[in-house]
Amino acid sequence: MSVSILDRPLPQRLPQGEGRRRITRHARLWLWCYAMLLPVMVIYAYVRIWPIARSFVLSFYNWRLIARVRPFVGLANYEHMLGDQNFHIAIWNTTVYSLGVVLISTVISLPLAVLLARRSRMSAVYQTIYFLPVITPLVPMSIAWKWIYDYNYGILNYLLSFVGIHPIAWLTDVHIALWALVIMGVWKVLGYNMVLFLVGIRNIPSTYLEAASLDGASELRKFWHVTLPLLRPILLYVLVTATINAYNVFTQVYVMTLGSQVAPGQVTRVLVYDIYQNAFEYFRMGYASAEAVTLTLIVLGFTLIQFRAFRERETA
Amino acid sequence: MTGKSPFGRALGRREALALGGAAAAVAAIPAARADTKLTVWTGYPEIQPVYQAVAADFAKTHPSVSFDFFSTTLREFEQKLTAAVPTGTGPDVYDIGTNISVNFIDNSLLDPNPPNIDAYMKSGPYDKFTVDFFTTDGKTYGLPFLEGSRASMYWNKTYFKEAGIAAPPATFPELIEAAKKLVKFDSQGRMIRSGISLRLSGQGSGIGEKFRYILEAAGGSAIEKTPSGKWHNGYDNQAGRDALTFYVDAVQTWHIDDPKVPHDADAFATGATAMLFRESWVIGEIQSKNPNLDYGVVPIPAWKAGMPHKMMLQPEGVYVSGQSNNKALAWEFAKFLTNQQNGLRLTEVTGWLSPRQDIDWKPLLVKTPQFETFVKPPPDIVYYVEPVLPPWDEIESRLADRLTAAYVDPSLKGNPQAIAAAIHSMAQQTDQILKDAGLYGTA
Repeated sequence: MSVSILDRPLPQRLPQGEGRRRITRHARLWLWCYAMLLPVMVIYAYVRIWPIARSFVLSFYNWRLIARVRPFVGLANYEHMLGDQNFHIAIWNTTVYSLGVVLISTVISLPLAVLLARRSRMSAVYQTIYFLPVITPLVPMSIAWKWIYDYNYGILNYLLSFVGIHPIAWLTDVHIALWALVIMGVWKVLGYNMVLFLVGIRNIPSTYLEAASLDGASELRKFWHVTLPLLRPILLYVLVTATINAYNVFTQVYVMTLGSQVAPGQVTRVLVYDIYQNAFEYFRMGYASAEAVTLTLIVLGFTLIQFRAFRERETA
Repeated sequence: MTGKSPFGRALGRREALALGGAAAAVAAIPAARADTKLTVWTGYPEIQPVYQAVAADFAKTHPSVSFDFFSTTLREFEQKLTAAVPTGTGPDVYDIGTNISVNFIDNSLLDPNPPNIDAYMKSGPYDKFTVDFFTTDGKTYGLPFLEGSRASMYWNKTYFKEAGIAAPPATFPELIEAAKKLVKFDSQGRMIRSGISLRLSGQGSGIGEKFRYILEAAGGSAIEKTPSGKWHNGYDNQAGRDALTFYVDAVQTWHIDDPKVPHDADAFATGATAMLFRESWVIGEIQSKNPNLDYGVVPIPAWKAGMPHKMMLQPEGVYVSGQSNNKALAWEFAKFLTNQQNGLRLTEVTGWLSPRQDIDWKPLLVKTPQFETFVKPPPDIVYYVEPVLPPWDEIESRLADRLTAAYVDPSLKGNPQAIAAAIHSMAQQTDQILKDAGLYGTA
């Protein structure tokens, strides 16, 4: 096996100057690597890191987008958030939505992946069908679902009528509207989670499952005691990314709640919509930045909790 | 190579080349005199055809001018414009409501009208109220382009006849009785036609605006100005409580409207509701979707017999950007756009009213008599206007957020104390927004 030049140990005694030349060569190689990465890192910093840092700083100012002055207000924006009813409603709705989408999509996609892992002629077709919602653009999809959910003309109520269920006000009932969005959110991410689990399942060495079979384990026990523990890293990844995406929900909520035919009482107000409204309708950029920082901290908190929970299980 | 010249001697190669170059330069002169392009944005996609027609007429006398139009829905347009104008990437000409223009004026993103436009505006095309509406600190900004409200009541004559109601309601008690007769349910008790289409849900300040139709009729207002020029809420009173009670009862007690049925202009045009409070543009909508609909338009009913009918005024202007490189030309276009002929064209094509007072509406009224209430309101109508304040949009939108929850809140039904508490809470929110903007006062 060849050893990288960077890993080669320096010989104990080198001819005069040779040691210095080796160190210089090391340094030059590292410098070269960083120099090659620099353009990408600069772009990344400018497009990602800098706006995040600017938002954080802006959250301590009172800036109304087109105002010439931007007075420093300290924590006033955060204090205002504590008393803002719209913000509380948005946090609650977003949390319910995220928990719903993450848990339901995970619980459905995992067994689905287990079923599809059994290679069959149709498994590729099924995988494609389940993955199609993932690649469908959100805006036309949201418009389609808005019509599917329509109380008077929607196909969902039409199909339910065949089994004797009265029309449901999917998007206008205060108790149902948010769950209607959860259903759509689950439909959207199911295929993505399924594919990730499928990859994980197919990478489990078959010897473990064979050994479990030889020991007389049922399919369920094999899944619970062999497959699931080995899928832990994938499961962690799915939960973390699904949580982040769910907390950033906006497009489908915005499109599906446009117009006058939507659920009253802000039952579908989500955090990103609240940020958008404060920033671009009320021009409260400083306050919107404070909300964005809070959203970041919430999602970071959930992510750390998930990492910790999985790490504790591994060490237990 | 040589050839015979018109001057009787042979042309050398150099001379031929020089002549050819000169000819090419002369031919290129008209092409080098580049067209001036004016960019025009609007938040009313239905008005874009009018802009295009006006631009085509304008180009007859300004052949070197070309236009670039952009339109999108109003809320998205307001956000796009607000992001573009401060960065200098906005259009030369745009139409917008005072809820946005007041912010631009406040931050010097709009220049006062040039003297000729100012003089023209005050020379008679517009009444004093309209001129004052577009005046800030003694200077005029923009040209009045359309009347954004004069909301009135649309009523479906066929449904009224079927229900045995002889005339449209003149008071709110009459409206409630009529709506109870006009509402329709199917065999399973689901509402299939509302008696009146109220704005019960949705995004934006439109809900607050429609609530104000009822609130103003009842004698209240969203905000009131004090003698010192400060503002405070105007609905933490009996009028506010009455207005909210009307909505709660409409949905939960009388069942004359329901969030589940179709709403708004679409619903009226397709016969899904018998009555609607809306602006004149609905006439254009009906003409395109259901031209055979038999309907009338009357002023919004008075709260009680003996109280006045009220009408909201909300003029919107066309403005030339402070950063435009073609201001003189843009102002010429704006003036042309808002002249008598094009004002009438705007109303005929889209239903939106021109705010000019010197238009002869007779030909329009012969074709579409439903415009009568909008262009010639009864002389005893009492007008109220959209306040021109930077946080106005936020006040109305946040009020709307609370109202939509209240309308369907079962704890408010038949509960005057709960209604009063809800109104008080909303009013506190309104006052807080005014305080944040440094505009609050009670004296």
